[in-house]
Formats: sequence, structure tokens, C-alpha cells
Amino acid sequence: MKSFKPSSAGAAAVALVMALWPLFFPDAALYFQVFGVACLYGTLALAWNLYALSGAISLGHAAFFGLGAYGSALLNSYWHCPTVVAILVGSLASLVFGLLWALCFRRLRGVYLGLASLAAVEVPKVIIDNWDSLTFGSLGMTGLSRLPTLSLVGWQAALGSDLQAQYYLLLILAVLTAILVKQTMASRWGWALRALRENETAAAAIGIAADRERTKALLCSSYLTGMCGALYVHILGLVEPPLVFSLQISALPLIFSIFGGRSRFYGPVLGALILYPLEQLAFQPLFPRGHAAVYGVVIILTILFLPQGISVWRTSK
Amino acid sequence: MSVGGWPWVQILVTGFALGSFYALVALGFSLIFGITRAFNLAHGELVVLGGYFAFALWKFYQVPFLATFVPCVLALALLALPLCLLLRGLREPYGLNSLVVTFGLALLLENLMLVLFSADYRLIRPELAHGNFLGSDFPFSANQILLVLMSLLATGAIHVLLHHTFLGMALRATIQDPEAAQVAGINTNLMAFAAFGLGGMLIGLAGPLYGENMYLYPTAGTGATLIAIILTIFAGVGRIRTLLVGGWLLGLAESATIMTLGSKWRELVAAMVLLILLTFRPEGISTRRQE
Repeated sequence: MKSFKPSSAGAAAVALVMALWPLFFPDAALYFQVFGVACLYGTLALAWNLYALSGAISLGHAAFFGLGAYGSALLNSYWHCPTVVAILVGSLASLVFGLLWALCFRRLRGVYLGLASLAAVEVPKVIIDNWDSLTFGSLGMTGLSRLPTLSLVGWQAALGSDLQAQYYLLLILAVLTAILVKQTMASRWGWALRALRENETAAAAIGIAADRERTKALLCSSYLTGMCGALYVHILGLVEPPLVFSLQISALPLIFSIFGGRSRFYGPVLGALILYPLEQLAFQPLFPRGHAAVYGVVIILTILFLPQGISVWRTSK
Repeated sequence: MSVGGWPWVQILVTGFALGSFYALVALGFSLIFGITRAFNLAHGELVVLGGYFAFALWKFYQVPFLATFVPCVLALALLALPLCLLLRGLREPYGLNSLVVTFGLALLLENLMLVLFSADYRLIRPELAHGNFLGSDFPFSANQILLVLMSLLATGAIHVLLHHTFLGMALRATIQDPEAAQVAGINTNLMAFAAFGLGGMLIGLAGPLYGENMYLYPTAGTGATLIAIILTIFAGVGRIRTLLVGGWLLGLAESATIMTLGSKWRELVAAMVLLILLTFRPEGISTRRQE
């Protein structure tokens, strides 16, 4: 039953182009950086969309992002964990918060869940901001160890300092996550989540355990989001509350997903790959401060004129 | 000041003043939500924008602080009307779409304020703030008296409008049942405009007061939005007296937290109250379940 889908082929072609262009422009440091972070945000948006499959619009993914970031940063600076271990273990903080979230908000749906998620960000943010003795409060933490250097039989990739290697790492992360989400969406579980989104009562009637399936989606989403946050601060080498617990971090995955199209597995990444470079390369030089305003405009226009996102442009109507 | 119970007086007074102001902040939000069923997540950002507007008038054009209320009220009312048109153009699912759109608007306004006013903390410090003309023993400062007075006046005015005028009756009918109101000959689209106009005026009134009592910075809006959401969910729509009670309770909780733990924990109170409220009574304390 292998069927050839143009959308998968298109996504593969985009991934291939993304993988090959650096070979022709090895000195484009700025572009490595911008497209690398775009891939990171694409991964973040994919993680957000995993939870959104079940119909939940989260306005508070910055909570997971920030907890993963701080979990990893604390492990790294207090116990001197190697970066990779710190990222993988530190993101568990997001997973724990995801469990709490699932427990506290299990009765909430739709708009009310959105409101709760908006408030949920404040809890870890204020605690971390005020726990000066552990987290250095609003000063943040600097000097986090960078990503390690990989070496494989005579071939080296300095993920911490070489922007091109870093770009490839983030690209591979985004591609792997996209494949994971694609498999998920095609699986029974993926269909169960979408059934929950469409009609929870009907879904429960055909034997879908609503709470369990939704919680599984949230946990995957929260861990992945935490990992993105942890990666982000180790790329920067520093962390502070407003950097990771901002409205913008909550908004970006939502904007990328909705702009790109939530119903296609590649939609969120596509949104990130279009919007983030556009904002960084076109708008930042024009408006050095407040260039992120463009995201607000984009999401308003998308909801008004293109509610399905650009990846469904052809098929809608 | 030597009295042992002095901190408690201080907590009560601060809580009362804060709470009255919170009711004012929530009032516009709850009117708009009641008529259009849209949670306007940019509400707090609009309040802060009003505060910045008053700050600019007061600082750069030497407008007396009390005179900044008039242009702020007018400007924010004018700003709220296009928002009404924007939300009217949304498709189903209306609730979630309005949430996402106003979330985007909040991000837009936040960045706009960053461009216009930079990330510095600003505070409006008018002349009447210097010294306490009622003597140092009087627990209210002049600032707080102004805050309470304006808040209660506006809240009272809206109460009278809702309960003693024809427009108010039409608005309440639309809040209770939009379809039945339409059958009775009420133009609900016009009511939405009225709600946004009134809401904008209330935001414009809250803005300068915000700038005078709390620090203005571009990302300050989320806190005000949370407060508006809390009180609206707590009180239900169109119940102004419950809104005031809720505001005072929240104000007391916050001022007690400020006095005992320090002002940095204030933001957590609102968030925790909202989470607890949503976890146990998402349909509100005194309303019927919607949807």
C-alpha cells in the first residue's frame, strides 16, 4: 500500500534543498544562523502542533520551553553535566510540568484551556525569577557550556562554534521531528487525536480513551518543546527569564503552525522556514526594535483570510 | 504608625485601592466579552498603551495629569472600534479564532510599544503625588484616593447605564441571549459597537491610572489581561457588584502577598487564582455554563 504523495515528495525536496545549499555558499554565516534557528523554531512548532492535533490551542508553550532551558542550564552549571546529557535530562522538567498541566486542566477545553495555558506560563516564570539563590533570578545565568564537538573517523563537527555544523544539527532535528509527526499523524493514535478534536463524545463512543490519548500528546509535545528550549540556551550560552518565558516564545509555534497549516505534517516547519527568515532578514534591518510585530500582523491576516494555512491553499474551496 | 496593627491597615487600604482599579480594568473586558463572546487577550496591552499615551502627553507636552484622561478615553475608544470590525470578520470556531487573533494583536502592540517607548520602566509622577496633603497619619495617599475615586465613579456610571437606560437594557438583553434580543428588534451589531466603544473608554480611563500607580513597560499588559480574565470568569458578565467584590478580594490577596513576601511575587497571585478558578469552576462562580 505504498502510495506516492506529492506533499511528501515536496517536503523531501525542500529538505534536500535545505541540506544542499550550504555546500555552494560555505561562508554565509548569517544565513546558517537564521535558517538554523528557523529549523529550531520549526521543531518547536511541530511539537506544538502535536498537542494541537487533539484540538488544544496552547498559548503557553513558553512554560515548557523555559523549564527545559532552565532544567538543562541548572544541571550544566551546578553539576557540570555534559551538554547533551543536560539537554536530554533537563527537558524532563518540562515533562513534569506537562504531567501537572494534564492533571490540572483535564476538564478544560477550547477557549478555557487557552486561557489556562496563558496563565500557566506565569507560574514557573515568577518562581524562577524570584528564586535568586538557585537561578540567579532576573540576572539569569551565563557561561553555559556550548554544544560539543562531534568527531567521527577523521571528520569533525564543532556544533558549538561552527555555524554550518550547528545548522545541520538543527536541520536534522527538524527533519527527524517532521518524520516523527508524519508517522504519528498516519497512525491510529494520530487519528484518535484528530477524532478527539472533531467530536470528543463520538470519539469516546468508539473506544478512544480521551484523557489518556490527549495526555500522551501533551507529554510528547512538552518534552520536545523543553528540548528546543534547552538547545536554544546552549546555543546562546546564557539564559534569563524574559528570554525563554516570553509571550513571543508562546506565540511563535502557534503562529508558524497556523500560518503553515496545521493539517499537514510539514505545515509548522514550512511556516517557520518562511516567516522566521522573512522577519530576521527583511524586517530586522528596517526596524531594529520591535520587528517581531510582523508576527502579530501575519497571524491576524492568516486567521482572517487563510484560516487553513498556506499548505492547504490549493485544496481549500 | 506605632500601632501594632498598622501593616493590616496598610494591606486593607492597598487591597481596596488595587481592587477598585482591577474592577475598572475588568469592566471593559467583561462588557466586550459579554456582548461578543470574544476574550480580548490584547486588553492589557491596550491599557498599557493608554498609560503610555498619558505618559507621553504628561512628560513631553506638559499636559496636567488630570487632563490626560480626556484624550486617552477618546483615543482608546476610537482604537477599540476597528477591533470590533476585526473580530466580526472571524469564522468558526469563533471563540478560538478570536483568542488567537487577539493574542497576535497583543504581540503586535507589545512590539509597537517597544519601538515607540523603549523597554525602560516608566511611571507618571504628577504633582499631587508629592507629599500627603491629608497628613501622614491618614492611611490613604492622594494617589490612592484618585485611583479609588475614578474607578468607583466609572464602575458606578456603567452600572447606572446598564440598569437605568434603554441602551443598557438592550445591552443586557444581548448579553443574556443574542438571538432573542435580535428577535425583539435589537441590532446586535450595533450593540457590539457600543460595547467596544464603552470598553475602549474604560480602557482609556484605566490607562493613565495604570501609568500613575504601576510601572509601564511594553510587556506589562499580560498581567492586566490576566486580572481582567479572572474577574470576568469570577463574576460572570454584566454583574458589576460581583465584579467589584472580586476585584477587592483579588486586590487584598495581592496586597497581602506584597506585604508578606515582597512585590515580586504579586504576578503569581493572579496567575494562581486564575488557574484555581479554571480548574475548579471554569464556568464561573455565578453563571450558567456556556457552549
